[in-house]
Amino acid sequence: MSYSVTEPSKPQKWIAGLLVAAYGIITILPLLWIISTSFKSQNDAIAYPPEVFSEFTLGGYVNLFTTQTRQSAEALEANPPETWYDEIVHERGMAIVGPSRFGERFMNSVIIGFGSTFLSVFLGTLAAYAFSRFRIPLKDDLLFFILSTRMMPPIAVAIPIFLMFRGLGLSDTHAGMILLYTAVNLSLSVWLLKGFIDEIPREYEEAALIDGYTRFQAFYKVVLPQAATGIASTAIFCLIFAWNEYAFAVLLTSGNAQTAPPFIPTIIGVTGQDWPAVAAGATIFLVPVMVFTILLRKHLLRGITFGAVRK
Amino acid sequence: MPDSPSDRLATATPSGVARTIRGLSDRTIAWIFVAPTIFLLLAINIFPLIWTIRLSFTNYRVNRPNADVEWVGLQNYQRILNDPDVWATMQATAHFLIWTIVLQVLIGFALAWLINRKFKGNDLWTTIIVLPMMLSPAVVGNFWTFLYQPQIGLFNTVVGYLTGAAPDSFSMIGDVALAPWSIVIVDTWMWTPFVMLICLAGLRSIPDSIYEAAECDRASAWRQFWTITVPMVLPFLMLAVLFRGIENFKMFDLVVQLTGGGPGNTTTLTAIDLKREAFERWRTGYASAYAVILFVTVFGLASIYVKALNKVKER
Amino acid sequence: MRTFLTGLLRLRRGPWEMLASILIALGVVMLMQPWLLIAYSYSFIVTLTGTVMFIIVSHFPE
Repeated sequence: MSYSVTEPSKPQKWIAGLLVAAYGIITILPLLWIISTSFKSQNDAIAYPPEVFSEFTLGGYVNLFTTQTRQSAEALEANPPETWYDEIVHERGMAIVGPSRFGERFMNSVIIGFGSTFLSVFLGTLAAYAFSRFRIPLKDDLLFFILSTRMMPPIAVAIPIFLMFRGLGLSDTHAGMILLYTAVNLSLSVWLLKGFIDEIPREYEEAALIDGYTRFQAFYKVVLPQAATGIASTAIFCLIFAWNEYAFAVLLTSGNAQTAPPFIPTIIGVTGQDWPAVAAGATIFLVPVMVFTILLRKHLLRGITFGAVRK
Repeated sequence: MPDSPSDRLATATPSGVARTIRGLSDRTIAWIFVAPTIFLLLAINIFPLIWTIRLSFTNYRVNRPNADVEWVGLQNYQRILNDPDVWATMQATAHFLIWTIVLQVLIGFALAWLINRKFKGNDLWTTIIVLPMMLSPAVVGNFWTFLYQPQIGLFNTVVGYLTGAAPDSFSMIGDVALAPWSIVIVDTWMWTPFVMLICLAGLRSIPDSIYEAAECDRASAWRQFWTITVPMVLPFLMLAVLFRGIENFKMFDLVVQLTGGGPGNTTTLTAIDLKREAFERWRTGYASAYAVILFVTVFGLASIYVKALNKVKER
Repeated sequence: MRTFLTGLLRLRRGPWEMLASILIALGVVMLMQPWLLIAYSYSFIVTLTGTVMFIIVSHFPE
């Protein structure tokens, strides 16, 4: 190994590593706390001083997915618990009367998230290819216009959208939310995908065109396979945005198409806020994003800067 | 050449269709590809925008659809721009904006500089630090109210342990003086990694040869830092600051879940105030003028942002 | 400074964009400063001028 002036010395590396690790632990602590709270009982969760290790229980998850009523001792006696979740509820003198709305809300998030991701990546790929390869009048202005739509404050946009959706019968529907999120995500997908397609050498398509391919064929047989990684990472970014979005969801949806982010904070137990249930909802909702973030780590920078910084 | 791809397509699809596809010029294809995107953005962004501008000159109220809509000219704008309460929300936003940017730039740059020491496992720690940024601000903000509980909250316990203060002696989101800082802390926790990642990209874009040349000239490490590292990272830092500035100027989800704008109006940021005008007091015309003011400000900042973006791209 | 002024006179993009950016930044500062109500009142006009100017001058030649 050759000596390099830019290579930091050993102690330097150690100190840097320790400091970064310390910050990393502080940063991850609230997230670990969410996950650990979800496995605590309601009393352990609000114990003073806060308990790091409490008795393990799935009570939070059971509360999250079910609605319950208080039962008299005789009624409980008469109906012995049949399943493990019945048993958890029974111990608190309650009985399950049905599922909660969390499952529905979670499914809404899935439907709206995947629907809008598919649409925005599909339309985005077409537009990005055109912007990358063809001469389009006012190209720079169009690209800036597309980017600027992403910057707009959601609350300000929500006023006319609210009126428009009401007029078209789209308020509180899946279709309305999918269209809205698609429009918001299009800017990201066009900018990111244009960057990815710009990187594919034009020679490949030109060779294909000379071989007798049409433009369409060259696009889907040559360019698309080359851009597959880019398309996949763009899709994950769009999905994460739609998954996390709160402002539009809270203003434009209520009973039918409400997604999980506006719902989770409204989970309330019998006695005040049921923190283990809230934490359970948050855990189920956040862990998939954490996994995707780890998968995406090579493309993160590109995604969050609209493809400006490539690493 | 009977087996060329175009022949296969020609036999696979009806000849009429094949001829039509073949006949499309690049120009037509370009328009077919771009049109849906432009159309959707026109329908969901530009059309509502024009509608907002129109409404901003009226006294329309959504909850009174039968009342006469009057044309009031610039009256809504005059009222907003002379209202000390709206001005106060701008100042609350300014406090939030300035402190989050200062803290995120300082911590983010320091972290990036440390990670760039290339110690073992730096990838792992980078990934861990980045996690909060990708999560739902509303869900995380809501959970932070639990961490901020006096007595039982993790935050108060840890701060109490470190400073010796009793954990139940202060309430981050209940105290008028502390609440503006409670939102700064959570936003910094969430978005420092963003600034860090961009700074890291800036640091990695500096070629080693520049430092080697400086070493030959016997420039001190301190001097190298201020004459090479900082100026080379600055365009990247500009990008991060502008982006965070725009995002926090329109901040809504995190703060609404964390403090709901309270106590009093101490954390009522502009977007939260706008939401109340538009969706609680239903003063649609007034709120539209309010929205236009925010639009123009964000649009102006976005044009500067794109300029900074192109500058970074050129490198 | 000299090149900046000649750039303005010759309708070059760079200096005009700089001027528009300064106007926008000034408008934003006026909007959020806590000292003068009158500055707050006129902030929107300044930002609007800067933004419109930016859109126009970004079409000037380099």
